[in-house]
Order: sequence, then C-alpha cells, then structure tokens
Amino acid sequence: MMGMNKFGIPLAMMGLLFITGCNKENKPAGQEETKAGGFARSKTLYLGGSQWGDPNSFNPLTDWPAWPVNDKFNIMFETLLAYNTLTGKFEPLLGTLESQSADSVVVVLNPAAKWSDGQPVTSADVKFVYELGKRFKGAATAYAIDFVSDIKVSATADKAERLTFMVNKKGRNNPLVVLDFLQAIRILPAHIFEPKLAQLKDLAEVQKLKCDSNPVVSGPYNLETYSNEKIILKRRDDYWGNAALHGGKLAGPQFIIHPIYKSNDAFAIALAQNDLDATQTYIPRIWMKKNAGVMTWYDKEPYFVPGAVPTLLINSTRYPLSDKAFRRAMAFAIDYKSIKDLAVSGYSPDIKPGAIMPFGIEAGFYNDEDAQKYGAAFNVESAKKILADAGYKSVFKADGTLDKMIDGKGKPVPTLFVKSPAGWSDWEAIVTLAVKGMRAAGIDVREGFVDAGLYWQSQPVGDFDLEMIKPAASVTPSQPWSRLAALMSSRTWAPPGEKMNENQGRFNNPKGKGYIKAVDSLLSVIPTLTDKAALTQAYRQLNILFMQEQPALPLCYLPEQFYQVNTKTWTNWASEANPYAPPNLPWAGAATKMLWELKPAK
Amino acid sequence: MLKQYPTARYILHRGGWYFLTFLVAVTINFFLPRLGASNPVDIIMGKAGSGLDTEAAREKEESYLKEFGLVQVDATGTILRGPDGKPLKSSNVSQFFNYVKMCFQGDFGTSFQKYPKKVTTIIAEAVPWTLALQLPTIMFGWIVGNVLGALAAYRRGVFDRVFFPLALLLSAVPFFAFGMLLVYVCAIKNGWLPAMGGYAGDLVPGFNFDFFKSAGYHYILPFFSIFLILAGGQAIGMRSMGIYELGTDYIKYAKWLGIKENKILLYLFRNAMLPQLTGLALSLGGMIGGALITEMIFSYPGLGMAILSAIQGQDYPMIQGCTLLVTISVLIANFTVDILIGFLDPRVKAGQMGGN
Repeated sequence: MMGMNKFGIPLAMMGLLFITGCNKENKPAGQEETKAGGFARSKTLYLGGSQWGDPNSFNPLTDWPAWPVNDKFNIMFETLLAYNTLTGKFEPLLGTLESQSADSVVVVLNPAAKWSDGQPVTSADVKFVYELGKRFKGAATAYAIDFVSDIKVSATADKAERLTFMVNKKGRNNPLVVLDFLQAIRILPAHIFEPKLAQLKDLAEVQKLKCDSNPVVSGPYNLETYSNEKIILKRRDDYWGNAALHGGKLAGPQFIIHPIYKSNDAFAIALAQNDLDATQTYIPRIWMKKNAGVMTWYDKEPYFVPGAVPTLLINSTRYPLSDKAFRRAMAFAIDYKSIKDLAVSGYSPDIKPGAIMPFGIEAGFYNDEDAQKYGAAFNVESAKKILADAGYKSVFKADGTLDKMIDGKGKPVPTLFVKSPAGWSDWEAIVTLAVKGMRAAGIDVREGFVDAGLYWQSQPVGDFDLEMIKPAASVTPSQPWSRLAALMSSRTWAPPGEKMNENQGRFNNPKGKGYIKAVDSLLSVIPTLTDKAALTQAYRQLNILFMQEQPALPLCYLPEQFYQVNTKTWTNWASEANPYAPPNLPWAGAATKMLWELKPAK
Repeated sequence: MLKQYPTARYILHRGGWYFLTFLVAVTINFFLPRLGASNPVDIIMGKAGSGLDTEAAREKEESYLKEFGLVQVDATGTILRGPDGKPLKSSNVSQFFNYVKMCFQGDFGTSFQKYPKKVTTIIAEAVPWTLALQLPTIMFGWIVGNVLGALAAYRRGVFDRVFFPLALLLSAVPFFAFGMLLVYVCAIKNGWLPAMGGYAGDLVPGFNFDFFKSAGYHYILPFFSIFLILAGGQAIGMRSMGIYELGTDYIKYAKWLGIKENKILLYLFRNAMLPQLTGLALSLGGMIGGALITEMIFSYPGLGMAILSAIQGQDYPMIQGCTLLVTISVLIANFTVDILIGFLDPRVKAGQMGGN
C-alpha cells in the first residue's frame, strides 16, 4: 500500500491554487485596482452597451466606426443641433436653429465653436460633410444630397455664419429628413480630412485610416486610449462649449470608460455591482436591482420612455396575407397584454391600435376616436368572426389545438411562418406569444426562428410570410412619419426578389389592383406641411388607412435606448422627477448635457 | 527507402498524411462559409442600411461588394454589370486563388465586420488571452486528473469512494452552468473575486505589475470553471483505464515478481495513458478555437467570441483566418501526439509501418 504522502503532492498543488484564490476574499472585487490605472472611480463615468466587439476604427468617415464616433453620439464629433427626444425640441450645439419652412432650414453656427487644434468650426466644415456625396458615392453621408440641394452661407448681424439648408425640391422634397440630418450628421474638420483626401486621392483609402491617435474633434471628450476590452475618453478642459453652452462649467467626469463585455448579462452584473454607471442593454426585471442603486426614468412600470415599436411585418403579396380581412383578424387575435407582461418585463405601456404612439411627441397626431372606430384590439371572438365572414374555417383537434385552416373555396390555407433571428431572446418571446394568440383564434401561424444572416437577407427581398422588425427605431424629428413610411411607402416599390429598404412587406403595389393612392400621397405631403391642423389631419388619415389595411402588426412599445443608471458613484441623473435632459445615455442627442449636471455621490 | 531508420520513416509518413489533410482542410475552410445561403453584405446592410431609402441602400450595398472584392470590377474600378444592371459577382474560384496567394504572404485580408481592421491583427490581439487561459488549464487539468485517476484506480479504498463520485459529479456538470455558479457564489453573492473581464475596468494592458496582478486576479474564476471539470473528466477516464490495466497479466506478473509499487504504478500509468493522450491532443488542438462559453460568461478576452461573430456575420476573411489557425493547431497537436504515442507505445509504430 502507498503512503499518504504519495498523493499529497497534487492535492497540495490544488490546495495552493485554492489558497491563492481565496486569500484576497476580504477585499471586494475590483476595489484594490481602482488606484492602479490612474482612472479614479470617483472621477470616471462608466457607460455601456454601445460598443460590441473589438473597436475597429475611430474614423468618422466610415460607416460603422467604434463608439463614440458611431450612431448619433456627439461627445467627440458634434452635430449642428441636439434633438431632445422628450420634448421634441432642438437644442443648440454647434449651431442654433433659427427658422424652418417647407423650403429651407436655417441654422446659425456658434461663432465660439472650435476644433481641438484651435481652428474655428466654419461653414466649410459643414459643407464638407454634407456635400461629400457629390464627390464620393461611397460616403456615409452621400444620401444627404438627395435632400439638401444647397447650403447657402450668409453673415448675421453679429458676424456669425448663417447656414440655409435648401430643401431639394427636385429630389426628395422632404424637410423632415433635413431636420433629421441636422441632429444626426456630425460635422467633421475639413482642414484635417481634405489634405488626406488630396493625398490618398480616394475616399475608400481615407476610410482605411483608423484616426485613433489624438484626433481633432469639437466635442467635450476625446479618445484617450482603447483596447479590445474598453474605450477610454478624457475630458477636454478647453472645450469651447463649457463657456458658450454650459455657463463656464466643466463636465463632471474627467474620464468616460466604455467597457466591452461579451453578453447582456455582463452589463447587468456590472451595473448592479456599481462597476458601470449606466447601460443601454436590455436587463429583464430591472426593479429587482433597485437596492443596488439602479434607477430608470420612471420608478414604476413602464420604467422607460417608449420610442420604438417592435412590429410584425406582413408580406402582402402572399396568400392569404394579401387578404385584408385575414390581416385584420391577426391584429384582433394577438394578446398584446401578455406580450407586454411576459416578453418585455412590462417595459411597455398598453398598446393602442395604429402606428402612431398615443403619448409623448407623437400624442398630438394620435386620435383615440379613430382608434376605437377603426383599430383592432385583442378580442378572440372578433378575430374568429372576421375569419368566418371572409370564408375561412379553422379545424381544431380534439385537445383544442389548431389542426388546419380551410379557405372559402375549400382549399387548405398554407401554414404561415414568422421569421425572426434565432437567439434574440426578447424577440423570440414576443413572437412566441403573438403566435400563441393567433393559433388560439384559429390562424395557422408558426414561429420560424432563423440564423440572423438569413434574417437580414430575407428582409429587403421580401422572402417571408411575417417578419419581426423595428421600423425606423430612432426617435428623430421625422417621427412618426419615418415609421409610417417604413411600413407603408411604395415609392420605391419593387417585386419580391428585388430589394426594397422600406415597406419590405410590399403593401400597396402601385401597379396592382386596388392601389390606394392616398397612402403615398399622404406620405409625400406630410413632410412639407407646416400648418399644425393640416398636419394632424393628414396623420389622422394615414393612421386610419393603416388600421383599415393593417399592413403590419405593431406589438408593443419599447424605449429607443434602455436608460438604466446606477446612482452610487454619480447622482443627479435626469428622470421623470427631474426631466432636465431626455432619457438617453449622456452621449446621445440632448442627453449629453447630463455630463455637466452629474454630481459625485457623497 | 529509409528502411534502416524506422523512426524517421514513421515521422515522414505521418507528416505526409498531415500535409495532405492540411491542403484539404484549407480548401474546405474557404468554400464552406460560401456554401451557405446568406451573404456578408446583406448582414452588414442590416446595420449600415437602416434608415436609408431603397436607392441609397442599393448604392451603399454596391460600394461594400466592391470594397470586399465580391463583385467584378474593370481596370478603372467600375463595377461590371450584367444585362439586368445588377453587378456581376466575382467567382469563387478567382476568390480562392486570391486567398491562397494572400495566405502565402501571411495576409488573411481585412475583416468585413471590423473593417478596416486586419484579420491578422484581430487574431494576434486575441490569441495570447486564449492561450493563457486554455493552455495551463488543459495541461493542469489533464495532469492532475490523470494522476488522481490513476491513484484512485490503484489505491481504491476510502480515497476512491470519496474521490470517484466527486469526479463523476464534476465531469457531469456542464461547464457553462458551473461557470455561472462560480460567478454567482464568488462574485455576485460574496464579492470575493471579480465577475468578469480579463483585468480591472480601469486598466489598460501593458507590461507593468498592476496589470499582471489584476490579470492574475481575474484569471482565477475562469481557470477553475474549466480546470475542475476537465480534471474530473480526465480522472474518471484514467481510473477506468487503470482498473482495466490492473487486471492484465503484466501487472499481476509484476506483482508476483515483487516489483516495487512505484514501478508498477509507472507501468500502469504508461499503458493507461495512451487513450488519454489522444484526448489531450484533441483538447490542445481545439484550444485555439477558444473557450467560447467561458469567454461569454466571464466576458474574458479571447478568440472564441471573434470566431462566433465572424461566423454569424459571414465575415469570410475572418472565418478563413481563424479556421486556418484552428486547422494548423489541431494538426500540429495531433501530429505531436502521434509521434509521442509512437515512442511511448512501440506497437503503434510497428503496426503503422507494417511492423516486422
């Protein structure tokens, strides 16, 4: 027999590992390191959810640079105006909105605005970005020239530059989208990029530059350093806006760090552990984290300000979805309350019929009488009645589950599938509940979760029966027009198989029988209307058409971004009780001003 | 040829087969992602095209197709079009030759999804983390598991009765569940160890003490999440093999001869280890592919997540680069073990060479 000492060695080895693992147990995780990196916790703001995967580039001329050069974030590169998604008003940034009409939008550049190299921000910088599409088709902002025919520059009385954005009347004639641009397109330093374009000759070559070393920016923060695990920004104490926009104050946090985690759960844990100050990732049952100091916009349901509408898009070219009655029956069959409660943690107010939100900025365009009269709310009996009246017959099995459907001619109705990306768990839950409701009403629908690649591919070519989408998901000045256009416009109608980037369900074929001209004419006239009453009337008509035709099935409301903050390190976040900024993380739109209001917790 | 050098002959023979396997694998690596129905630009357009109208989206899509070399262009860089006005796709064969040429130059191209980042850069940044997590874990797990398993087989008694069920339990736990349990108990509930990341949130990687201290601290949970389960599995395999070997004639004979126990244990270990070695080769080979689940649970840096997102996004150059790396490491690991087994078990070498 062997002595104990013989297997003592590996055991001791394991024990040693355990001991080294546990002897630090008295110190809370992460605490001892806070001094090490030079980014003191009390001076650093940790924000999350806008960067997934390795940062690729900080070049603002590319299509998807890393945070915060991507999306409509404006803490490094700034837009002319900041849009307040709560009030629907523009706030000054590089410029101030002077006037707007159906023909033009006028912005006055702030004469104090400066780049970080000391050069002033001028009309040349604005023209550079907006007109890049005239020189290079591959420019990220190339689409701007279809909407803005010219930018006229004049001087104001106090010698500031006045920019008149002329609406492209011969092009898209859409002042609403011009307003969208003013709060989305970041102004770039022409004196930096022009020489690079001249030297490399092609935009595609300039797009390959990473611009990650001391870039020239106009915003309050600049890139300090980054790795695949985080991006670190440092406050610019010489930011022009401190004096011009914020009464001489410095922004609170000296550093902003965006850690790059690999799952939503990681962001949720970090937020609860106060390793993150704010995140826009989806966290179910957020009220459970209240004790950890986590706060949302509302402190009770729905917790967030709605901004986007997850919707089932219907392919109107496929039988029986081409039948209006069938589409209407679907809208009656879905239990919207269960979707709200079970699929999205109650983060949605109760849904109303139509594609216009009944609250917030859009409330003025919503009409409750119309919704009562034309809209479909959850009612299984109504759904069954509509189906029966249209000649459809549902055959149920002995156990009460749906077997099949037969149409008026006695032919079987094909099983319909809802295409949605596999693994997007919140969408999967929404789809499952919608399918459950429709099957209970006798509509033969099934879940069809597919690889995300196939999902993206199927969308523009209309290769689906029903598909989950979030039409025009950003809260911009053009809402709710942009959502309605995304769901109903047949301006660029193409047969299935060819690509469309709006109305991919091919509702309302302009060459087909029963084409409803009013839909497209309303969609093209709404952006040009300046009279409030006429605008409300037009939206009302369009929403009625949506409810009558039901080209898609809106399922619930979700926020544009989940606004979830931890108050243990930084306090004075905007909220329902203190709505000085909109419910976005402080790097987007008008929410950026929160950076000057945040106060260190005692 | 080489009759008088059987060992060299054996190595060359195996090497030849591995080279052939490599060529086939490289070809498959290229064509497999392209056989699927989805297309990388459609996926990119999902994010880059949102908010654009149809015409703007079409123009954008064509500029990507051109940039990524997926359409044919003429000498001036203009996209060639078919009679229907649609761009002509470049053929897989021409893409393949381009790929082979680039591989020889050590250039795997530019990632589509992380444009303009080079695939070689992405891999070079991630591989050290993957190796640092996987290599020690696998080696330690293997050694500790096998030693304990052999002991359990030989010693039996109380040690085995306690150890065996424990090892069985560990090896049966799915390691994502074990990892989550570790996070919950050690990080969330008690705050002993950091829940995620490869190093502290306020550090930047660099050659300094703070960074290595923090990295070591963050290493503990991911390490144990793999190590314990791996060791448990290895121990069970080794224990069974050991018990089998204990019943064989050579062990009985050795015991009758009165050979020292340590010596017998060595015999036992050497014979029982052979199948375990093959297992080790497989683990080491697959190691480059990364511990995806561990990376996700602990948000640990590494190549696993990069490969997953490349596959999801049909990022051809990235998939090619990673699969090439995985192919090479699997082949090298297997080749090494093949050779090792040849030395450890002369029967294998003899059998392979038609053994006289």
